Amino acid sequence: MDTTDSTPIPEAPVRRKRGSKLKKSINDFFFSMYQINQFILKFFREAFVPPYEFKEIVRQCYEVGVRSFTLISLTGFIVGLIFTKQSRPSLLQFGATSWLPSLVSIAIMRALAPLVTALIAAGKVGSSIGAELGSMRVTEQIDAMEVSGTNPFKFLVTTRVLATTLTIPILATYTGFIALFGGYLNVAVNEGTSWRTFIEQVFEPLTFVDFTASLIKSIVFGFTIGIVGCYQGYNSNKGTEGVGKAANGAVVTAMFLVFIEEIVIVQISSWFR
Amino acid sequence: MDAKENRRAIIVGLFLALGLAIFIIGVFTLGGQSKSFAKSIHISAVFDDVAGLKPGNNVWFSGVKVGTIKEIRFVGTSEVRVRMSIDENSQQYIHRNAGVHIGSDGLIGNKIIVIDGGSPGAPIVQDGDQLQAAKLLSTDDMMKTLQQNNENLLSITSDFKLLSHKILQGKGTVGTLMADSTMAVQLKASMRNLQIATASAALMAKQLNTFSNTMNTKGGLADKLFTDTTTFNRLKAAANQFQAAATNANAITENLKTTTDKLNSKDNAVGVLLNDPKSAEQVRSSIANLQQATIKLNDDLEAAQHNFLLKGFFKDRAKAKADSIKKAQGK
Amino acid sequence: MEKGKANIDYNNAVIRIHGLEKAFDDYEVLRGIDLELFQGENLVVLGRSGTGKSVLIKIISGLLSPDKGKVEVLGEDISKLNDRELQALRIRIGFSFQNSALYDSMTVRKNLEFPLVRNRKGITRKEIDTNVESVLEAVGLSQTINQMPSELSGGQRKRIGIARTLILNPEIMLYDEPTAGLDPITCIEINDLINEVQQRYNTSSIIITHDLTCAKSTGDRIAMLLEGQFQREGTFDQVFDTNDSRVKPFFDYNFIK
Ligand SMILES: Nc1ncnc2c1ncn2[C@@H]1O[C@H](COP(=O)(O)OP(=O)(O)OP(=O)(O)O)[C@@H](O)[C@H]1O
Ligand SMILES: [Mg+2]
Repeated sequence: MDTTDSTPIPEAPVRRKRGSKLKKSINDFFFSMYQINQFILKFFREAFVPPYEFKEIVRQCYEVGVRSFTLISLTGFIVGLIFTKQSRPSLLQFGATSWLPSLVSIAIMRALAPLVTALIAAGKVGSSIGAELGSMRVTEQIDAMEVSGTNPFKFLVTTRVLATTLTIPILATYTGFIALFGGYLNVAVNEGTSWRTFIEQVFEPLTFVDFTASLIKSIVFGFTIGIVGCYQGYNSNKGTEGVGKAANGAVVTAMFLVFIEEIVIVQISSWFR
Repeated sequence: MDAKENRRAIIVGLFLALGLAIFIIGVFTLGGQSKSFAKSIHISAVFDDVAGLKPGNNVWFSGVKVGTIKEIRFVGTSEVRVRMSIDENSQQYIHRNAGVHIGSDGLIGNKIIVIDGGSPGAPIVQDGDQLQAAKLLSTDDMMKTLQQNNENLLSITSDFKLLSHKILQGKGTVGTLMADSTMAVQLKASMRNLQIATASAALMAKQLNTFSNTMNTKGGLADKLFTDTTTFNRLKAAANQFQAAATNANAITENLKTTTDKLNSKDNAVGVLLNDPKSAEQVRSSIANLQQATIKLNDDLEAAQHNFLLKGFFKDRAKAKADSIKKAQGK
Repeated sequence: MEKGKANIDYNNAVIRIHGLEKAFDDYEVLRGIDLELFQGENLVVLGRSGTGKSVLIKIISGLLSPDKGKVEVLGEDISKLNDRELQALRIRIGFSFQNSALYDSMTVRKNLEFPLVRNRKGITRKEIDTNVESVLEAVGLSQTINQMPSELSGGQRKRIGIARTLILNPEIMLYDEPTAGLDPITCIEINDLINEVQQRYNTSSIIITHDLTCAKSTGDRIAMLLEGQFQREGTFDQVFDTNDSRVKPFFDYNFIK
């Protein structure tokens, strides 16, 4: 509470402004690049030196992975089902519906499973990490942690980033599996294909390059979502507005980066095909 | 650690373990197909035309995928060298005198290289060997032949139509018919045309048969595809019909040939023939038969046009042709 | 509620600050702070909003680093410590935040346990429970043990915040506006608590406040932050025995004259 405002006393010092706006925003940009870089480096410095926060990692895995499972598996199922359903007519034109399993498999395993998982997780997990850390920053809980002898970066950031990096690939695996199952339901209803045959055809067009690329992709996505959410929250500005900004920034930035990474990794993996 | 934390840890453990298990099962299923990590040898072949073959396309042997195209590069003036890697496990089945040709593994037109032939007596292919490329049998070539045939037949049909029309009008006697010398010349020309067309149809039928057989090879994607739809059967039936029509036409041509030969044998022979009602009847029915056969052939061609496979090729020209064919059959 | 007898050792300064300066961007907040806090003493820091009171105690606890000057806490130069040493020093300092800073995701019990569990390796469950119960009793909120911070009132949160810093038996307490936004009766309770802590645990404290009742009842000494420096210092009466237009309004506003 400010109790002194109503009384006429000399002015409190006022912040001075210097330099052009453009110069400032360029400076800000490079400064924030530098900060992000430092943040990531700090993660690697802190994450792999003891003491390890196992308990907290488990708790975060629960929050990030188990808590998102229902949403992500439902989405995966619907994506698989709808994708198969929508692809059917074009293949039917060629009388090539027996290609559906292969088509669905390539689409899901190469692209959809990691991407859909990452986008859902960015929305659900990324925003909640951003908001949680943001509000902890704003209400000085992070400072409180620091002065009570706990390294907040290690306790809050590394655990969350490790949890997303670990569980999002697992979630993507579930998504892929469940999406295939959704695709299978459609194929089974229309062609009466057996699960065995379906799976055989699913694996037909896949290679280890696909598997490895998707695995790497979802690990990178997981790391991105975690680190972006933490960065936004951990460095959020004071004030409740900062919390909203952190949550929003976490989602937008993470989704944007996920797409960029998708393009890059697809390109790289195509060199190995 | 309290009870809640323990429960969470167990759930997280299950969550991770199950996900990992699914992933590992996936990897093993994939590994079970032994497509990658297997060692391979490289062989090559030189083609005049690779018909749009691309690196990464498959190599088939006896309908089984045995490798992929690694590299395509021009050699000499306009020839193309294709380098392919062949799975080491399949190496033992491929002999040095095997041939390669470019085929297609399905409707979308994925080009493949098909290795076939080769005798067990010949040595097994080794890394760096070059196989003999067979002349390209492409869908495009078949389409061209088919189109030509179609045009030929159309003109023949109209010829015969004219002929038989005249026969019917000409009081039903061959005498009248044969009296007109231009008619005889016309008939002869028509027959020659038909002969060519028939030969061509026979070849066509053979090609179609090989083509569909290639597709029918067990295990290929095309196999699954065709098993799935009736398309394959239709294609096969079309080929059979071609064959039948060709044989039929052949027989008739033979028949006519003898008749015309008789016509041609000088002097009196013509008089004899003209006065022989049996011969006249024979000529008349032969011509009627021929007309039937031609129409049949035309039908088949039309069926072929409606076949999805040939659809694309005919699409542009189909309308005009179809109309004239219909008119031809209309009577 | 008169302040009880304090046991202050004026030969032993637990905090020694000399020539401290701190600026954010171009804004110089602290411009040469000199300060000593003696063992067992309650020092009240007064000052307008935005004069850098919170910044000062954040520098003392190592949350912010000074631009210039020397900060010695419990005999250690803050700027020369590495992370581990700083961490060890920090648990000897209790920091009660302006807005309590309770961990929202944890119950009161977990909040109180947190510093213990994280800093006293090998502590038993029973020891933890005794400790938690005793500090809760000290702040008079035993019944809230299983509640979430969001279920508490502002005054309760403040007291839990103080309890959480007390649980590690700190040698120095830093209170940032302990009574801001509370009703007069709760203010009095908090003031009593601060004094009780001083006597019971023999801690030295810095108390930041705008509330002169609080300053008067808890402070052994008052320091007034003006233009980035402590320009007035002394007992309550000494500090306010002036007509300085930067100081007098504090007094007039609090004790309507
Ligand atoms: N981390 C920071 N980054 C930038 N500026 C800051 C930061 N912390 C404090 N400041 C600025 O320093 C000045 C002093 O802030 P401080 O919180 O110390 O004020 P205060 O004296 O505690 O005020 P109040 O009585 O309102 O709590 C303010 O103008 C604030 O904007
Ligand atoms: Mg403050």
